[in-house]
Amino acid sequence: MRRLLFFILVVVTAVHGEFAFAKDRSNMKTEMKKLLPAEMEGYKSDGKDQFYDRQTTFRYMDGAAELYRSYAFKLLMVRRYVKPNQPSIIVELFDMGLSEDAFGVFSFETEGEDPQVGQGSDYGGGLLRFWKGKYFVNVYAEQETSSTKQNVLEIGKGIVTSIKTEGQKPKLLNFLPRGDVVERSIRFFHHHQSLNYHYFVAHENILNLGARTNSVLAHYLSLQAKDKTFLLLIEYPNQQLATKAFQSFVKAFMPEASSSGSVRMENGKWSAARSYRKYVTVVFDAPSQEKAEELIRTARKNLEGRGS
Amino acid sequence: MKKGRVITRRDFLRGTVCTAMATSSVFSSSIDEDVGAEEKVKVILIRDENAIDQQGRINQAVVQKILDRGVSTLLDEENPIQAWKKLIKPTDIVGIKSNVWFHLPTPEELEMAIQKRVLDVGVPKKNISIDDRGVLDNAIFRSSTALINARPLRTHFWSGVGGCIKNYIMFVSTPWLYHGDACSPLASIWNKPLVKGKTRLNILSLIRTQFWGRGPHYFDRRFVSDYKGLLIGKDPVALDAIGARLLQLQRIAHFGEDRPLDTTPKHIFMADEKYKLGVSDLRRIEVVKIGWMEDSLI
Repeated sequence: MRRLLFFILVVVTAVHGEFAFAKDRSNMKTEMKKLLPAEMEGYKSDGKDQFYDRQTTFRYMDGAAELYRSYAFKLLMVRRYVKPNQPSIIVELFDMGLSEDAFGVFSFETEGEDPQVGQGSDYGGGLLRFWKGKYFVNVYAEQETSSTKQNVLEIGKGIVTSIKTEGQKPKLLNFLPRGDVVERSIRFFHHHQSLNYHYFVAHENILNLGARTNSVLAHYLSLQAKDKTFLLLIEYPNQQLATKAFQSFVKAFMPEASSSGSVRMENGKWSAARSYRKYVTVVFDAPSQEKAEELIRTARKNLEGRGS
Repeated sequence: MKKGRVITRRDFLRGTVCTAMATSSVFSSSIDEDVGAEEKVKVILIRDENAIDQQGRINQAVVQKILDRGVSTLLDEENPIQAWKKLIKPTDIVGIKSNVWFHLPTPEELEMAIQKRVLDVGVPKKNISIDDRGVLDNAIFRSSTALINARPLRTHFWSGVGGCIKNYIMFVSTPWLYHGDACSPLASIWNKPLVKGKTRLNILSLIRTQFWGRGPHYFDRRFVSDYKGLLIGKDPVALDAIGARLLQLQRIAHFGEDRPLDTTPKHIFMADEKYKLGVSDLRRIEVVKIGWMEDSLI
């Protein structure tokens, strides 16, 4: 009898959960549709909006979906805007769940020009990428013509107006040493595959990165050294996990520096690593030991100022 | 690779990594380097400058011609139909595994060229199907006795290279489970009952190649090359290894520097070393070059 009651409870909970989830998703769709005007710059929606969630988004974008899934991505809406004698313009609106992750997925690529759309934007190769609030948006024309760039940018600005609420960037960014940091090099991510995409460290996940860790990678340029120095700052759920990850990193990456915390690498540059409370800071490719240590110290000072 | 051995950036700096697992080392090995008496795997690289016309349209007749010549050369036959008869029997049920990724799909002209030769062998139309994302629900694929694997070569966000090995990911219902560790277990799919031992021919379409990825779909027209060729062989791993090398050479030609793949195409190496699907070592692959070879890079 108890088993039967338990089974009924499980079924009811599952059905209720599924119903709640479906309702939640339906609300999200309605909300997202409101953010995309039916008509902009003479372009009209073709009326065939598509939606994809974390599971189904592979059908739309193949393996590239993993990038979005590595963040808190919830739902993707795709709308095609059409205009006579003009190439269609595609808008992809991603509800990233959190503004921090909307910034994160935006920060993944910032190689183009900044057309000043939303809270951060990048334009190149006919593609506009920007973020605002918890939304990340791609706008691009199916074919490029002399007028498509202007149209893409104007449609992007129209969507920005519809998204009323701005979002905050990850707080972890506040602890980065400033000075000669290259702003457009700042990346926010969770998984080690993303770290390797920007700066290859190791095939294995030696820093124990994952969905519960927040990471910021930035590079620094100095006048004396034209080469880039990278700083990686990771926030773990607690100090214990940070310490464990730090030990794992030192063991695999710089075993000879277990006491000093810094090492001259095979390319003549310096790496340094420290663990502080629930944070781990690593510097790669510094031109000198002093520079590596200086960046580590500044990051620590910033973290201490937080009082956590 | 020994279990527990972690390859880090420092191994690359030291130059101590010398396997395909290391981002591009096997792919940067010279194809011409001799490995002694060991038998080599044959792959055919065939190109024709008219495969794409001035308007950017793919020429059906030229694609048929290079497919025929490539398959004939691979199988040492004069007549392409005789060559196809070495691959397919009239009683076979044939699935042509295509790729529909809308930015760079398997060209329809190539699909038609393959289908024509399968028909010529004597396989009735009702026993042939061309499909990609619907293969699991496709009656022909489910009962197939022979598969032809045909897809374009491109860089891929999560696996480094999208080639022959990766094209079978639609034969599983949970593709995302194969995306971990740079898609290293992809070749395991080739051991699934629906697939195992059925693949008679692999064709990597080089008519257009994507050598660098960017953007939401990892696609950018600026990084697509009209290479106008096909890579044909029986060994999917060998084709992908050559394909990965070609993409690397195209990046060097385009950017003027060796931009490494964003993701190590580890699955090609694993397909060889762990899953024994084929050969990834370029020194053990013989590339037979036919036709127009201007800027072939390989």
